[in-house]
Amino acid sequence: MTDAPTTDRWIRWLNTIQLVIAGIIILTPTAWMVMSSFKPSFEVTAYPPTLIFSPTIQNYIELTRTTPFFNYAINSMIVTVGSTSLGLLFGIPAAFAVSWTRISWPAILTLAARMAPGTLFLLPWYVMFRQVGLIGSYTALILSHAVITLPIVIWVLLPSFDSIPRSVFEAAQVDGCSVTRILWRIAIPLVGSGIAVSAILAFVFSWNYFLFALVLSNGDTKTLIAAAFNFVGEGSTQWGALMAAATLIALPPLLLAMLVQRWLVAGLTLGAVKG
Amino acid sequence: MPQATATLTPDRQRLELSALSAPAVIFTVGMIAFPVVYTIWLGFQSFSSTGKQSFVGLANYSKLLSDGEFWHGLWVTIALYVLSLVLQLVLGVWLALVLFHAKRLHGIVRSLFISPFMMPPVVAGMMWLVILDPSLGAANYILQSIGLPPSDWLASPSLVIPTIALVDTWQWTPYVALIVLGGLQSLPPSVYEAAQIDGASPFKTFQRITLPLLLPTIVTATILRSVDLLRFFDIIYITTQGGPGNASNTLNIYGFRVGFEFFNIGYASALMLTLTAIVFGAVLAFNRLRGAVAW
Repeated sequence: MTDAPTTDRWIRWLNTIQLVIAGIIILTPTAWMVMSSFKPSFEVTAYPPTLIFSPTIQNYIELTRTTPFFNYAINSMIVTVGSTSLGLLFGIPAAFAVSWTRISWPAILTLAARMAPGTLFLLPWYVMFRQVGLIGSYTALILSHAVITLPIVIWVLLPSFDSIPRSVFEAAQVDGCSVTRILWRIAIPLVGSGIAVSAILAFVFSWNYFLFALVLSNGDTKTLIAAAFNFVGEGSTQWGALMAAATLIALPPLLLAMLVQRWLVAGLTLGAVKG
Repeated sequence: MPQATATLTPDRQRLELSALSAPAVIFTVGMIAFPVVYTIWLGFQSFSSTGKQSFVGLANYSKLLSDGEFWHGLWVTIALYVLSLVLQLVLGVWLALVLFHAKRLHGIVRSLFISPFMMPPVVAGMMWLVILDPSLGAANYILQSIGLPPSDWLASPSLVIPTIALVDTWQWTPYVALIVLGGLQSLPPSVYEAAQIDGASPFKTFQRITLPLLLPTIVTATILRSVDLLRFFDIIYITTQGGPGNASNTLNIYGFRVGFEFFNIGYASALMLTLTAIVFGAVLAFNRLRGAVAW
């Protein structure tokens, strides 16, 4: 006869061990990247790799000295903030209208962008933007990245708007409120946290997006992610600076994600999972 | 109140609601619908080196059928897709079960688990490029210190696809796990209690009860991952650009290079429309499957 509480404790131990192993596998590569970025340059490529070293910010100084890193960072900010704002500006009223009317085709239409390969849009955009001289402009980059942000905003906000009791709107209508007024005065304040989560997710995915900037940006408007491609080409021997760049590029999305981790999961699955 | 009703006729309300969704619809038609139609048209064109364009009918599509690089790209796409998907689903379900039994999830733990897929795939590529370096990377050092032979990883034509699958699995398994965890948390506890009373072993409970009930959630995770995996681009382009040789040249990488390195816009359009059809076909198929396993 086995003692039930003892078996229970064993199972819990076994589970904790598995959790720790998973945690180590998930964390180690990222930790290695951050560590390498603080190693003296001769030690980054040391073999066998070293674990103990005197940390230095030499690689970060080198990175900002040899590349226009700050310019790229500002470009990334302009494109990301621009496309997130555009996504919110178009997405909030659209999500509200879809939730109100239950006519879902506008939301599904924006989802097509989530499914088709980016190159499918990039080919005609390239031809179209070239004709109007917009290749390399912030306008082209912000418009293309808004294709990423708009479906995120709409699909994250839909369940939020859906959860507002219909009677709230009906009461306002009886008082003579127009639909637009209801959106501004009643609905938006009620889904504030949903808007914050959708804005952060839109920011993260726009910041992380690679393909469009690769083709639509030029030397002056290149985003960090597109510039990373050049860093890899030039940095084959400069691992320290390369890892410093990787760390800095990953920092904004990671910090933002930590901020809202609890609410992130439902948003990330575009409402596929409730809870 | 006659005034109020006068301003709130159903027509007026419908007009306002249309106006609210109009910006998003106009934007989407301008940036997605119209360009896709334009791509379909481009797929029937040929662009000469001087920039002259001519209508060639289905020539781009018949070229596709006889293009060895297309069939190779299709094979690479499918191999990478199946390998990554299976790894991520198996490990994702395992990780979800571990997280589920951990009872309370500390915020720090959750942050740790979302960190891989919140970082740019490009950064994940840069990071693994250094770790997997054949001569100086930490991965080979670990292999050698436990007595295994070093590997060429991304530089090996035969290993590049499994290696890229591993990198993507590192990045996206926690995402699959969080979706499955959501499914686990929504299962009614009564079914477990019944199984416990019947004296079912934990493995039997998982096999006979948990797994079948989880199937709809697993199919959802499959759809979300399929969409990304079939258009795999970022990690490959930053690490190998389709190499070594053409060993990791997926359809998406191939189409991109045909369009923007060789500027054969017509043929690239045909390639991308074919890939899009494959992605939408997979989504529709899995959507039907989800209907079949729903409970």
